Amino acid sequence: MNKVMNTEEVIAQIPSGATIAIGGSSLSRKPMALVRALARSDRRDLRLIVNVGGPEVDLLVGTGKVAEVIYAFVGFEVMGLAPHFRVARQDGSVKFQEWTEFTVMAGLDATIKRVPFLPTHAALGTDVLRVNPAFKTFQDPFEGQTLVAVPALKPDVALLHVNLADPQGNGVILGDGHMDALCAKAAGKTFLSAEQILLPERLQTYGRDVHIFRTIVTGVVEAPWGAHFTGCAPEYRADLLHVQEYLRASRDGPSWSQYLEQYVYVSDKEYLSRLGGEHTLGERLRV
Amino acid sequence: MADSTIDELIITCMARELQGEVLVSSVTAFGSLAAHLAKSTHAPDLAVLSTPESGMDAVPLPTLSLGQFLTDHQRAIPLTMEDIFDEIFTDRFRIWINPAQIDQHGSVNISVIGPWDRPKVALVGSRGIPEDTSHLSQGLYYLTAHSPRTVVAKVDFISGVGYTPERAQWLGAHGAPTRLVTDLGVFGFDPERGVMVPRSLHPGVTPQMVKERTGFPIEIPAGTPATPAPSAEEVAIIRAADPLEVRKLEMSSGKESAEKLVAIYERERQTLHAAWPRRRH
Repeated sequence: MNKVMNTEEVIAQIPSGATIAIGGSSLSRKPMALVRALARSDRRDLRLIVNVGGPEVDLLVGTGKVAEVIYAFVGFEVMGLAPHFRVARQDGSVKFQEWTEFTVMAGLDATIKRVPFLPTHAALGTDVLRVNPAFKTFQDPFEGQTLVAVPALKPDVALLHVNLADPQGNGVILGDGHMDALCAKAAGKTFLSAEQILLPERLQTYGRDVHIFRTIVTGVVEAPWGAHFTGCAPEYRADLLHVQEYLRASRDGPSWSQYLEQYVYVSDKEYLSRLGGEHTLGERLRV
Repeated sequence: MADSTIDELIITCMARELQGEVLVSSVTAFGSLAAHLAKSTHAPDLAVLSTPESGMDAVPLPTLSLGQFLTDHQRAIPLTMEDIFDEIFTDRFRIWINPAQIDQHGSVNISVIGPWDRPKVALVGSRGIPEDTSHLSQGLYYLTAHSPRTVVAKVDFISGVGYTPERAQWLGAHGAPTRLVTDLGVFGFDPERGVMVPRSLHPGVTPQMVKERTGFPIEIPAGTPATPAPSAEEVAIIRAADPLEVRKLEMSSGKESAEKLVAIYERERQTLHAAWPRRRH
C-alpha cells in the first residue's frame, strides 16, 4: 500500500484532544516538520508524551496547542531551559506529569504487551511518586517487595522522524533509535517523516537498520531537513545557532510572534529558504 | 605538583572514583573527561560511552552537537536505550550527575526550585536519575560551584533519593549516594548516619570556607586531609582530550558562556575530522 502523504494530510488525521507520543531525544531527531505543522493547525488540548523532550514540547506549548505533557525531561541541554515549558510550568496554564526515562518506556511497553502496568524499582523513594498520582506502589506477589506499578501509556498517535523510509512505511534509523520503536508500536496510528523516501527494494538493503515496520505505520511524509533545528545523525547536526535565535525570540510576545511568522506559519519549502536554503544549511550543519 | 585549574582538579577527583569493567556515561564534559582519564590511567577496562546513549568504547571528545557523529566516526559499539537501562538495573553502569541541588542526606534535585506544583523556577524534570538511585552501587555527584544554594539542608524536590526513611524501607543500599566532588573538596556519605562527611579539602580550602558555603551545619573533623593535586600526566590527558575546552562552559555562565559556545560550535566539526577522519556508513 502506498502511504505517502504530505504534512497537512497527517495533521488531518490528528483530532484536538489527541494523545501524541513524539520520538527523538533532546536535540536529536525530533519530527520538527510535523510538529511545526501541528503548531500552525487549529488543533488544541493535545496531550504529549515525550521522554527527553525539548523544542517539540516548547513550540507546541508556546503556540497554545497543549493541555497536558507527560515527560521525563524538557530542556535545551547545554543551551539552557525550555522557555515556554518553563512559563507554563510556573503559571499552571498546562497540566504536567513528571515521569522518568525508563518509566515512559515501560508505560509504552505495557500498552504494546496489552498489560495494565509494568513493575519497577525505579522512582521508589523519589518525589516523582509523590507528585505524580499515575504511579502506584504495590507488594509483589512472589517476594513481597514494594514495587512501582507504571501504568500503560496509550498514545493515539506517534510522530517520528527517520533517515529513510519506503512508501509502504518501513523506516530506517541510522543513528540512535531513542524510544522511537516503542512509540510506533504503542500508538493507534504512527506517522513518519523521512529525510528521503526510497523504493522498497532499496530500503530493504539497509537490513538491520530498518527499525520501524510498515505493519504499524499509517503515513509517510518526505521531509528533507525534517528534524531541523534538532540534528539527524549521520545527516546533520543540531543547529545551535538557531536554538539561540529561538531562545532570544522567546523573551517577549512580539519577538515570539515574529519568530512564528518567519519560521512556523510557513510551508516547509519556505522554512528552508528562510534559513538560507539547503546549500547553506548543508555547509553549516553537515558533518 | 602540576599547574592545574579547578576544573581539572574536579575531573581528576571524579576519575579516581571509577574502576572495574562497567559502562560509564558521558552525559557532561566533566563526566566524559573523568571516564577517559580513569580509563587512561588506573581503570583500563572501563567501557566509556560517547554520549548519554549511543556508542560504547569511544574516546570521548567533548562537543556540543557531535555525540552521535563521534560514535560513527570511531566505529564505537552502538547501544540502545533498552541496553543502557538493562546495564543500570544490573549495576554495570556509572554516571556522574551534576545536580541543581544536593542535600545533607545525598538526595538530589534537577526538577524544580520551590514547590513542584507551583515552581519558583521550573528546571528540567528528573530524567533518568530515579533509575540510577534505585539500582547503582555508586551514586556519583559533582558541582562546579559549592554554595548554600547548591549544597542545601533539604532539596526542594527529590529527583534522586539519598539516605531517607523511604530508602531504608524500600531500597536499602541500592542507588545510595557515595561521592560528591565540588570546587571545595571531596565528600562521602556515612551509611550509618546517612549524612554527608568531608573526605578531603582541595589545596587552599579551609574548613571555614566549606562551612560558609554549605547550606547546613557540616562537621569538618581535624585531620581531614588535603585532596592530592592532579599529576602532570593527569592534567595532560584532560587537556589533550578536550581541545575545544568544552569543560570550561560548565564553569561559566551568561554572555561569556554564550560567546564561548558559539566559538566551540563553529570549530568542533573541524576538530572531529582532524581526530577521526570521516568514514561513510
